[in-house]
Amino acid sequence: MALIRFQDLDPVRHLLTLQQELDRFQRNPGVSLGPSGYGAFPPVNLFEDREGMVAIAELPGVEAEAVKVMGQGRTLTISGERRRETPADSTGYHRRERPFGEFSRSIQLPENLDLANASASVAAGVLTVRIPKAESAKPRQISVQSR
Amino acid sequence: MIPEQEIVTKEKQQVEGTEKTRPGRYFVPDVDICENDDALRLWADMPGVSEKDVEVMLKDNMLTITGMVDASMYNQLAPIYTEYNVGNYYRQFTLNEEVDDSRIKARMRNGVLEVELPKREQAKPRKIQVQSA
Repeated sequence: MALIRFQDLDPVRHLLTLQQELDRFQRNPGVSLGPSGYGAFPPVNLFEDREGMVAIAELPGVEAEAVKVMGQGRTLTISGERRRETPADSTGYHRRERPFGEFSRSIQLPENLDLANASASVAAGVLTVRIPKAESAKPRQISVQSR
Repeated sequence: MIPEQEIVTKEKQQVEGTEKTRPGRYFVPDVDICENDDALRLWADMPGVSEKDVEVMLKDNMLTITGMVDASMYNQLAPIYTEYNVGNYYRQFTLNEEVDDSRIKARMRNGVLEVELPKREQAKPRKIQVQSA
């Protein structure tokens, strides 16, 4: 099981690369997010927007029913199985590059998120999990009264 | 629960050598290709590509697959931690088998392109009866 712990991320390096990537990201239609790594399946990108956090994972060939998304405490777990569609009558493979098997990943989220109200959807083999900010973390306008 | 077999993600390889007219980065999709007596079948992983943004071309025995990713969903998002890059997909294959291009079928399902390339009649293997003299 692969675990990303939010605290483990080097804050300085990330802040520096973040700004660069962000600039490039908005200019380049191909979207550059820095080098992509070899690692656990599915690869996950974490984003932030005004409502909260968004986790996006590439799960090609996996149906929505075959993905399990669980939230427990501050941990978000994505698990499931990617099955190979084996043609019964094939005489042989020329290439076999696509990975198959079971997967399970956990992501430790920062505080102040409301995992209970998270929503997840799958479209074109991409899983999107939206986790809203907790009520207490949202900016609040305080009314000013005149006396 | 620990899965018996853990899948690993390979780094996406950028397409090299050719340059596209449209800007943006192109990656090489992972493919499986298998063959039987009647056809070649190909699967290509292209997560984020919907059926209207995929193109399959066969010309002079050269099969080209292109998938365009809609990156507009990322406009409102600020990255905080990233493991993979987002981009279009492109890959070309030279086919050895004689393919009947009028009967090629392709479909997109959950970000996976599936292409069936039926062989021409004369390219199908034929068993020749051996007779004793």
